[in-house]
Amino acid sequence: MEYKLDRNTHSLLDPRTKLLLLFTSSVFVVGSAGEQRMRVFYWILVFIPVFLLFMEKEWKAGGAAVTIYVGSYFAQIALQHELTALESVLALMLYIITKIIPTVILARYIVRTTKVSEFLTAMHKMKVPDKITIPVSVIFRFFPTVIEESRAIGDAMRMKGIEMGAKKATEAVEYRMVPLIASCSIIGEELSAAAMSRGLDVGKKRTCIWNIKMGFFDWVIIVLCLVCFIWWGIGGLFI
Amino acid sequence: MDTNNNRLNAKDLINVGVYTAICAVICCAVAISGVIPVMMLFLVVFVPILTGIPYMMFLTKVKKFGMILILNILMGALMWVTGMSYYALVVGTIAGLIAEYIYRAGGYMSKWHGIAAYAISGLYCWANYFGIFFNAEAYFSTRQNFGQEYIDAVTRLLPAWMCPVLMIVDVLCGIIGGWIGTKLLKKHFVKAGIA
Repeated sequence: MEYKLDRNTHSLLDPRTKLLLLFTSSVFVVGSAGEQRMRVFYWILVFIPVFLLFMEKEWKAGGAAVTIYVGSYFAQIALQHELTALESVLALMLYIITKIIPTVILARYIVRTTKVSEFLTAMHKMKVPDKITIPVSVIFRFFPTVIEESRAIGDAMRMKGIEMGAKKATEAVEYRMVPLIASCSIIGEELSAAAMSRGLDVGKKRTCIWNIKMGFFDWVIIVLCLVCFIWWGIGGLFI
Repeated sequence: MDTNNNRLNAKDLINVGVYTAICAVICCAVAISGVIPVMMLFLVVFVPILTGIPYMMFLTKVKKFGMILILNILMGALMWVTGMSYYALVVGTIAGLIAEYIYRAGGYMSKWHGIAAYAISGLYCWANYFGIFFNAEAYFSTRQNFGQEYIDAVTRLLPAWMCPVLMIVDVLCGIIGGWIGTKLLKKHFVKAGIA
């Protein structure tokens, strides 16, 4: 029996669609495959994450992203001529902003809006083996944790007067790395205990309380991604 | 019964995920410094040395076939998604498999086998340079915005003969990193009872 719960409205897209979008955007936005011919798709892919931010009602972050894009677009036009050293540093920053930020926003959106059980169910439907999906879902969950922990450790070390670039570089590394790994490994132990009690090890088919289904927006995004790849493949024949 | 014990269970897979995340965060933190041309060359030094510590910790958890391989595949895939080439994925998978066999030969506990396995599996870091060596034009066409000076500096630092040299450097630094890792492990974790 399918358990109806109205909570699947909280996220617009299906986990599978999100991953396809992430892959497409990493090929065309970060890797900038196809160059000029993909111009239109490039901008569409850049603005989809912003649209998703607005759908999640994160007005402030979305507005900031739009401002950054527009600003960096005009700045890039201004920096077309021969570059001096300072300007090439600026251009480098712009490069990072326009290439990396859309994908970062997308990745953050995915991490925030995808429940681990949703992800596992979606991957199970795609017949991806557990051996890949479980580590991947742990990585997604663990990125924020590692960064948070290392920030906390950094604060503690600063309080004790051990800073990056202290007298001995080895000390600075050792005093940061060791507590980080210790605390992460303990969190990992707890995580596997939690997974054990949720029956991840049983080997039976798992159920999920959220309904994983492709909706209208999913198909729009999927078609868009496919068009991107097809146009990348054969578009050269028409121009 | 025996086959059942050798299958990876959820706990092993979660450990793989945890240590992949730690290694990836360290890699990212180091790789950001690659925007300076000279540092780009030293990535192959710093990444193996710094990730050695979590990796040796990870190896203490490895008791079954497949964990090193999965970690390497995931690291390679992360490199690909974050805009490096897919070479890292290919090389990482092969290197992971070799490392797996090396570590298994040591019975999953030998220290020197562990260090050797780490040095080999760290080759995905070296593979990230393939784009510059084999496909320089395409590589730099995506990086035009860095400015011509950056491109010149990187090409000057990386003539073709550097490719095997970097591999040797990578393996050597892997050995050093693994050795440091075992030292720290002994100093901190074994005493605390975590490892």
